[in-house]
Amino acid sequence: MMLSRRALLAGGGGLAAALSAGVADARILPSAMEPLIGPGYKPTDRDEIGLWQQMGRVEEELSGSNLLIKDPALNSYLQGLIGKVGGPAAKDMRIYLARIPEFNAVMFPTGFTVIFSGLLLRMRNEAQLAGVIAHESGHFLRKHQIRQWRDMRTKTDVFAVLAMGAGVAGGAAGVYTGDLARLAELGTILSLFRYNRTLEAEADAMGVRLLAAAGYAPNAMAETWDQLIRELDTSAKYRRKKRDRGYSLFATHPAPESRMADLRLSARDVTVPGRVYDDGRGRYLQAIAPIRAMLLDDQVKLNDPGASQTIIETLAIDGWNGLLRFHEAEIWRLRNRAGDDTRAASGYAAAVGYGDAPPDAWRWHGVMLQKAGRAAEAKVAYSRYLAMAPNAPDAPYIRQLLQ
Amino acid sequence: MRRSIIFVVAAALAFPGCGTGLGGEGIGFGGYSLIRARSVEVGDGSVVVTPTREWNRVSSTWSIDDIRAVEDWTLNGSSLDSLSFVTGLKGGRYIIRQSKRAAQQVPKFRSDMTAPEVTAMLESFYRVKAGTIDFRTIGLSPRQFMGYPGFQFDFDHLDTDEVWRRGRSVGAVIDGRLYLVLLDGTRSHYFNAALPDFEAVANSARLQR
Repeated sequence: MMLSRRALLAGGGGLAAALSAGVADARILPSAMEPLIGPGYKPTDRDEIGLWQQMGRVEEELSGSNLLIKDPALNSYLQGLIGKVGGPAAKDMRIYLARIPEFNAVMFPTGFTVIFSGLLLRMRNEAQLAGVIAHESGHFLRKHQIRQWRDMRTKTDVFAVLAMGAGVAGGAAGVYTGDLARLAELGTILSLFRYNRTLEAEADAMGVRLLAAAGYAPNAMAETWDQLIRELDTSAKYRRKKRDRGYSLFATHPAPESRMADLRLSARDVTVPGRVYDDGRGRYLQAIAPIRAMLLDDQVKLNDPGASQTIIETLAIDGWNGLLRFHEAEIWRLRNRAGDDTRAASGYAAAVGYGDAPPDAWRWHGVMLQKAGRAAEAKVAYSRYLAMAPNAPDAPYIRQLLQ
Repeated sequence: MRRSIIFVVAAALAFPGCGTGLGGEGIGFGGYSLIRARSVEVGDGSVVVTPTREWNRVSSTWSIDDIRAVEDWTLNGSSLDSLSFVTGLKGGRYIIRQSKRAAQQVPKFRSDMTAPEVTAMLESFYRVKAGTIDFRTIGLSPRQFMGYPGFQFDFDHLDTDEVWRRGRSVGAVIDGRLYLVLLDGTRSHYFNAALPDFEAVANSARLQR
């Protein structure tokens, strides 16, 4: 009981405190993770029925939000993934894709999940994405929301119950309902759906089990975790500070390193030696192709150079292309430190060497050449840009430069 | 959540959990003061404009944003419409106050920036500080500003409050310093309603040396 409460407090405020306390929970084994609900689950207890009613309203608001990415093919692809790793509730769960450039995904207690577009940007393949979805499914299959709610009430943890109650009531009163991105920014949702570390460990173990059952490499979850840790560290280092807990659901959990270690061990438990696992990279890239440029754009323009660089380098492990090179140059242009103009200029020059360089790469290549006093070459680049994007909104400005 | 440069900072402070928060700089909203329909100095005093109607100036006395080069006006409140001035901003400076430790930052202005770079800086401002989710450039074309060759930048943006807004900025880099006027308002009504008044202000702007 003491441990549980301390874990909750750690989740609420102090990563450092949790680390220094040296709380060493035993790893939860994937084999111990049986789903607690079956297909078509509906609540029967009064408190849970109430929670479901509130969440029904949240989902209704959310499904009409103009911040959702509505691309039908992509949404049905995501729904298909939850069908693969959703266990007994595979047919009951719903998935929504929100255009928010952050690494995050949230499972609501009634079985709908919101995937942030920033998550799709960061995944190298289908197995990694399936791992995150499997983790979220784990929260639903293990009834985490209602378990945590009841756990807190029995401990009469007044503040925690108040915080939770305020969140639920807020939904009813329309305080946060439907205002999806505000949720993400204000951390409201994180205070509502921050599970204690035991429940997170359960979702990890359950996720690994679901992932393996669906035929994905179980280690994909640990890989994702490793990518996130590197990204947070690099981002913080650029700004000369320590990694903060950020607003990512994953980042708020205590001790990411120990969690990653547990994920690796769990993956080993369920990995079948000699089996060849398909990471689904081809399918994944095809599914996100229509929005990949947009995902990169949304991230890079936030001018968080450490995070953006880590993301692009991670994606480039599978091979550089014109799109990645272009956005790498964009990072330097926006970072705007001494010498970055030269770095960006050579980045754009490299990007246009690829057949798949976007039109914008030629435009910026032109801008950099022009600033370097290479007017004739700049005109060639601008002309190429206009040939590729004759109706570009800035075409009138660029045409003037050609005169 | 968003709006004119000053409003946005204040809003970020009002919600301490906000990812774009500035970490305790400043104190909050100030009041408004009346701008009459006659010539008035704006920003650092280097630009004079002559509005054709009255506006409300967002007070900088209480504002958290003490950048002298920046000034904000509004007609109906800054979440519906706002008019911002950037006057004589030097290279190496920012159009907004922000913590050096913030992960996401509005890029600094450089005196050799071209129009596409200035507009990209504005776009990052919206994405980093104003909660913009979707930003679309509608147009970038050459336009004289205060008698100097400059640009006109038109754009739409969808923000976290699920409202589409539209903006127009007219500006120029003169002797390495940035000057611009920027109108921003809800796309469904307030932008168009304020556009003639914005044009009057932008066309009346003159440099005062």
